[in-house]
Amino acid sequence: MSGRYLGRKLIQAIVTVVAIILLNFVLFRLMPGSPERALRNPHLTAEVIAGNRARWGLDKPLFPDQLVDYVQETLTGDLGYSIKYRGQPVTDVVLNAMGPTLLLIGLGEIVAIVIGLALGARSGWVRGGIVDRIGNGLSLIFYSMPYFVIGMPLIIIFAAGLHWFPTSGMTSPGGDKDLVATLFDLGRHLVLPLAAVSLGLIGAYSILMRASIIETRAEDYVTTARAKGLADSRILRAHAFPNALLPMVTLIAINLGYVVAGAITAEIVFTWPGLGTLTVQALDARDYPLLQAIFLIVAVSVVLANLAADIIYGYLDPRVRS
Amino acid sequence: MRSSLRRRGAGLLAMLAITGSVILVGVAGPVAAADPVTLSVGTTQDLDASNPFNTELVVGYEAFELTYSLLVDFDKDAHPAPGFADSWERSADRVTFHIGADRKWSDGQPATSADVCYSWGLALAANKDESYIGSGYLDPGTKDAGVTKIECPDPTTFIAYTTDPSDRIFQVYVPILPEHIWGKDDYKKIGDEKFDAPLVGTGPYTLAEWKTGQFARFVRNPNWWGPNKGFEDEVVLRFFADNTDTMVQALKSGELDYAHGVNSDQFKQLQADTATYTTVAGAANGWTQLAFNTYGTGTGKTIKNGGASTKALQDTAFRDALGYATDHKALVDRVLGGFGDPGDTVVPPVLTDYHVTPDTVRTFNIDLAKQKLDAAGYVLDASGKRLDKEGKEINLRLYYPNTDDNYKKVAQFVEQWYGELGIGVTHQSFDSDTLTDLLLPPEGGGTAKYDIELWGWSGSPDPNGLLYVFLCNQIGTSSDSLWCNKEYDDLYAKESKEGGADRKATLAQMQNLVYNEAPYDVLYYDANLDVYRNDRFAGWQNMPSNGTPFFSYGILDYTLLTDATLVPTPGPTVAAATAGPVATQGPSTSGTSGQGGNSTLILVLVVAAIVIVGGAWLYRRRSARAVEEE
Repeated sequence: MSGRYLGRKLIQAIVTVVAIILLNFVLFRLMPGSPERALRNPHLTAEVIAGNRARWGLDKPLFPDQLVDYVQETLTGDLGYSIKYRGQPVTDVVLNAMGPTLLLIGLGEIVAIVIGLALGARSGWVRGGIVDRIGNGLSLIFYSMPYFVIGMPLIIIFAAGLHWFPTSGMTSPGGDKDLVATLFDLGRHLVLPLAAVSLGLIGAYSILMRASIIETRAEDYVTTARAKGLADSRILRAHAFPNALLPMVTLIAINLGYVVAGAITAEIVFTWPGLGTLTVQALDARDYPLLQAIFLIVAVSVVLANLAADIIYGYLDPRVRS
Repeated sequence: MRSSLRRRGAGLLAMLAITGSVILVGVAGPVAAADPVTLSVGTTQDLDASNPFNTELVVGYEAFELTYSLLVDFDKDAHPAPGFADSWERSADRVTFHIGADRKWSDGQPATSADVCYSWGLALAANKDESYIGSGYLDPGTKDAGVTKIECPDPTTFIAYTTDPSDRIFQVYVPILPEHIWGKDDYKKIGDEKFDAPLVGTGPYTLAEWKTGQFARFVRNPNWWGPNKGFEDEVVLRFFADNTDTMVQALKSGELDYAHGVNSDQFKQLQADTATYTTVAGAANGWTQLAFNTYGTGTGKTIKNGGASTKALQDTAFRDALGYATDHKALVDRVLGGFGDPGDTVVPPVLTDYHVTPDTVRTFNIDLAKQKLDAAGYVLDASGKRLDKEGKEINLRLYYPNTDDNYKKVAQFVEQWYGELGIGVTHQSFDSDTLTDLLLPPEGGGTAKYDIELWGWSGSPDPNGLLYVFLCNQIGTSSDSLWCNKEYDDLYAKESKEGGADRKATLAQMQNLVYNEAPYDVLYYDANLDVYRNDRFAGWQNMPSNGTPFFSYGILDYTLLTDATLVPTPGPTVAAATAGPVATQGPSTSGTSGQGGNSTLILVLVVAAIVIVGGAWLYRRRSARAVEEE
């Protein structure tokens, strides 16, 4: 891969991140309302409200004071203090929520990629077969369902009905568990949300892979492989599947970028303490510093994921580099 | 072909093994015999802070009251009861509180009047500087109570001097903090403290663990000196932010013992199963109202390019007539599903000591409303539209927040009823912040471009928390009717210095004044819909008697619960027998307490999974090699 291609992509990514940082500042201040209005405390006098505004730096002019402060602090990694979770640095609040999201959505992506690609490949390879009819049908159904619609029946059946798993949360109360018990507890809480997220994602991968395989199946080199007498499964595995993967790189890269953002509805329905849930809480409280931090992290993740996709594309397909 | 089938079979076997292992590990919960008895309480709020001065939510009050005592607590009727102080004497200018000599914090340190002086001193220092602590909810309590000075002459005596002999000093929500832990902090710094668990307190349970967005766990305080000790060893508050569906499922699964704030449909569904659940529709300390934009009333002020769309809203006769056109009972039945009470005055009935029924009650009567409007000079034009005194058609803008689906239903009813009077209504929802900005008059930096606001308030044990909103000096901050009445302000100042029957009489006057002047049409008093299971705990008591066991005033109920399996109550006993709950302090079937670490079982399962997966993989490798050799 040429250094020029790589440099161009890197510059594009840096410019995008700078634009995001500036947009991040403007966007949340365009929203109606303000943090002190989110409190409807009859005891708060005008003086106290003014004090709150000063404390949060909202009493200064938006431009240049607030903007300059914000850019300086962002570049030095100081994301300020949360307004909702008072007394807690934004970085602490965000990092606490990022782990659960990475675990749930990251694992969900991996499970969905493995099953979705396998299902899509098999469906497309044997069109009209039983796997195609059932798998493609289910993929379409799950693809069109929001996470909470998938999640709630899982809770009703497997948690409230069969008592196999907890309904919600990530851990059980009680901080004196050993490592094995902690992992076990996490596993129990993870099963249902992971199932919901995976089922929701499998559809997207399966449908796209199926279409890609169908297209690949008609290629000359597949016909040639057949003419050479190669086994059907080997043609799929060794020839069709790798070539059909190219369009999947884009989807996987984009989805991986959103892993950080979390699946808000999935996290809400399972009360999973991730960034999706945190975003809703921060929006409710007009917690500007927290919202800015979440937006920044998510946006940068998407940019990085896209950069990774560009680089991988360039590596896989020489035509792109040119 | 055979090999291919075998390989596929091996792959399938491996997948089944992995999936099965996950499910087995998940299903076979480890159970330890020494698990504590845990009371799990669900709520739709997410705890915002463990620092009492920073919380703005009901769940935050519940959390800090479990850990920290108030100087004076609440009994089952929300009347003053011993808290940090055992007893007290009231004189004209002071209250002398007595604290037991053998009191201890949960860490074993002595709990004395010095802790009270420190905690109340924080609030007084903030009051003195006209400042606030944290989010500014708690410290105004000492100011409202007229506290001017405090003294701690000895470890068991605390004296608070007051400007008047009122009884509001017994409802001050300032938590007594341990001076030996927080004593280095002044009122400015304490608001920035995180209050990380575990906390040292004097409440019946102290915060031991808080997982943001999930739960807060409280453990029994070994030094709790109250007369009652709850059956539960631990209390877990679980948070289901804006998610009643999952909370109800957790209640059904037995993970929760108590669910706070279910919706009316869920409530009715659970109500049908009396053997398993007890449902409580408790009166909430709050209301939903129509607040009319009366800006200029009592002040004569006007707003350039803003304010109400008609001067009629400044006319008491007009507002009074509108009061006959809203059917409060119908709203309770058709909007709240029957759970709630029709509204009248601005002191909710849950405050039984202070609420009065208005002397002249308005009842729903559209014809009477029409007659009153005609008599007041608001006549109909030829097309049936009601005109104001300037000859302009009256079309009112009704705004409400998007936080509650019920508001839209109420707005539709109001549109219909006012429409029958010839008054047009256009209604629109906004997010809470935008609406708050819309309501602000020039005093608050806005233009108050609205006619009617549909929203609600919730209060504290003392009615002043709600009556405060109607003061003239609240225009520009909390007032949403922008009503100003000197007589009301004078009565407020008067009752703030009174106690007992005198105060009650003044409060009755104030309620009637607001009702008759009608800056508000209090539509209904909301209900808290709570549900608890009958199979594990007994001894539930509503606090106050028309309220709910939890999320009310004080934490008395947490100390009153008993073992349901040992109590021969008619309903719960049947449920207990069928549900197979704990008979002693043994293992719980609850998902939140099923932990402890049966590591052997887990290891066996994990090893089995590894063996199966590894075997399948080896088999597949061997088969693949065989194919290549062929």
